[in-house]
Amino acid sequence: MYENTKLIELKNISKSFGDTQVLKNVDIYIRRKEFVTLLGPSGCGKTTMLRIIGGFEFPDEGEVLFDGKDIQSLPPYRRRVNTVFQKYALFTHLNVYDNIAFGLKLKKPEELLPNEKKITRRKIKAEIDRRVKRMLKLVKMEAYEKRSVDALSGGQQQRIAIARALVNEPEVLLLDEPLGALDLKLRKEMQVELKSMQQQLGITFIYVTHDQEEALTMSDTIVVMNGGKIQQIGDGKSIYDEPKNAFVANFIGDSNILSGVMLKDFEVECAGHRFECVDEGFAENESVDVVVRPEDVMVVGSDVGMLVGEVESVFFKGVHYEMKVNTGDFTWKVHSTTMHPAGSRVGLSIVPSNIHIMRRMEAEG
Amino acid sequence: MKRSYFSGPYALWMVLFTICPMIFVLYYAFTNGDGGFSVQSILECLEPTTIRVFLRSVKLAFICTVICLILGYPAAQILASKDFSKYKLLFVLFILPMWMNFLLRTYATMSLLERRGIINTILERFGFEPLTLIGTEGAVVFGMVYNYLPFMILPIHTALKKMDTRVIEAAQDLGANPLRVFTRVIFPLSIPGVISGITMVFMPAVTTFAISRLLGSGNFMLLGDMIETQFLEMHDWSFGSALSMFMMVIIVLSIGLLNRIDPSKGERSGNW
Repeated sequence: MYENTKLIELKNISKSFGDTQVLKNVDIYIRRKEFVTLLGPSGCGKTTMLRIIGGFEFPDEGEVLFDGKDIQSLPPYRRRVNTVFQKYALFTHLNVYDNIAFGLKLKKPEELLPNEKKITRRKIKAEIDRRVKRMLKLVKMEAYEKRSVDALSGGQQQRIAIARALVNEPEVLLLDEPLGALDLKLRKEMQVELKSMQQQLGITFIYVTHDQEEALTMSDTIVVMNGGKIQQIGDGKSIYDEPKNAFVANFIGDSNILSGVMLKDFEVECAGHRFECVDEGFAENESVDVVVRPEDVMVVGSDVGMLVGEVESVFFKGVHYEMKVNTGDFTWKVHSTTMHPAGSRVGLSIVPSNIHIMRRMEAEG
Repeated sequence: MKRSYFSGPYALWMVLFTICPMIFVLYYAFTNGDGGFSVQSILECLEPTTIRVFLRSVKLAFICTVICLILGYPAAQILASKDFSKYKLLFVLFILPMWMNFLLRTYATMSLLERRGIINTILERFGFEPLTLIGTEGAVVFGMVYNYLPFMILPIHTALKKMDTRVIEAAQDLGANPLRVFTRVIFPLSIPGVISGITMVFMPAVTTFAISRLLGSGNFMLLGDMIETQFLEMHDWSFGSALSMFMMVIIVLSIGLLNRIDPSKGERSGNW
């Protein structure tokens, strides 16, 4: 678990490329040993944020603090962070062993052997060898040290890229969609492995992805981004259960998003029905977004439902059926474990605590 | 239709213009004037005068290649850099000399370096003594570098341009300062391009003729000039052919040597 000290702080960061502003006044801090995921659709600014931390981009405005010190003037090679690049960026002119040893060979001898009085070439070589071998073991690639990196599969290249970064014992590991090029099964395996590596080594991971499931699986904290702005920060459960706005609700899992009117505290009207809900503090008759998860819409008999509608389509999804139910004013996405054939009439019910009321997003959102 | 049919014209071309001439060269090299078998011409190739011309050719070609590499690599880097790709015209300017006939270029160089050439005229205008530029080894090397520099720049430029910028970022990320990024990543990855460049400069340089005659004022006969003389002036086709063969062997050997250095074994980015 992470410690409660701020390791990296981004303060009021803005960044534009030409006319497009990719980051708008971003404020965020990352704690020591935390697994943070920057989650959002492509073009939301998540990779730019990672590159600012890595030192490959400079913000137009704002401060980047590392351990309380401004690091904006530090070039990438002086920062105590390492990156696992999208598509790995391995050195094709070096074999697996030399790829991993690359960072170590650049270190000063006294950094490599802090407790050694008399440093010799042989001792340096032995130390590098020890560390590289340890990494190869960690990523389960011991048998491959003399291979050319071109001869490796995607998953193996991925492991080498991770080992090459981790061998330098960075305080922070930045990962830019590292599993994007792998097939689903391998991706799931690597997610588990990455998470256990992070816990085992006790370093901070900042992970960029557009895959919400990946984010939920691995992260301590998820930062949902859209349009260069942070939409919500929180752990997976709170973001899933209490999305702050319709974008987050839609991006993390499936959602029914309706426009509604808050009649008074604890009562909202949408889809032609007045629902009881648990939200308060809105203005009377304020227009709001109403979000309901598909699994929270219960299918009941057509005589007892709050709403009555016709099933438009049914798809089997493995664990559940995904149905579209048209109630006249709105077509609901419904997940249910019981099948109702297309064309049949069903009733729908929603319990008050599963109705999430959100303030309207700004037009740009 | 079988795909191999398409290679028919190419095969015919090869037989007519590559294999047949090689056989003729071989035939002439091993016969005397009457058409009888003789190794006389081959032995002549090993005589001190010939060896001296040969060594001079290799020396000048070597100097030319080194200078081209020193000038060409940074130029290729500048041309391949991101900020530069907008300025296509400048790239064309670098390559433009290649589009002009090389004799024309060499005559232009002559008028630049002559006793009463452009450089000396300017020097005299400012009250300096005129320099002896033409007829020196330096002038020959200058002419060669001027002619062959684009052949060094192009393959290196291609190799650098194809390089993934993320690999460079990865090196920085792992602690490499700009110098280390160059020595450990950029240069090693561009070696196939460098080797193509060296080959493309060294080969024509070692067989150069005309440049040495025009800019060296005939003081520095090179292998290429010697072959030309044998055929056109001495009408000794046998010795000329023997010299050509001799040169071909040298080139094949030096390419073989270069390819041995190439770590990627010519798999990537090289033009050869």
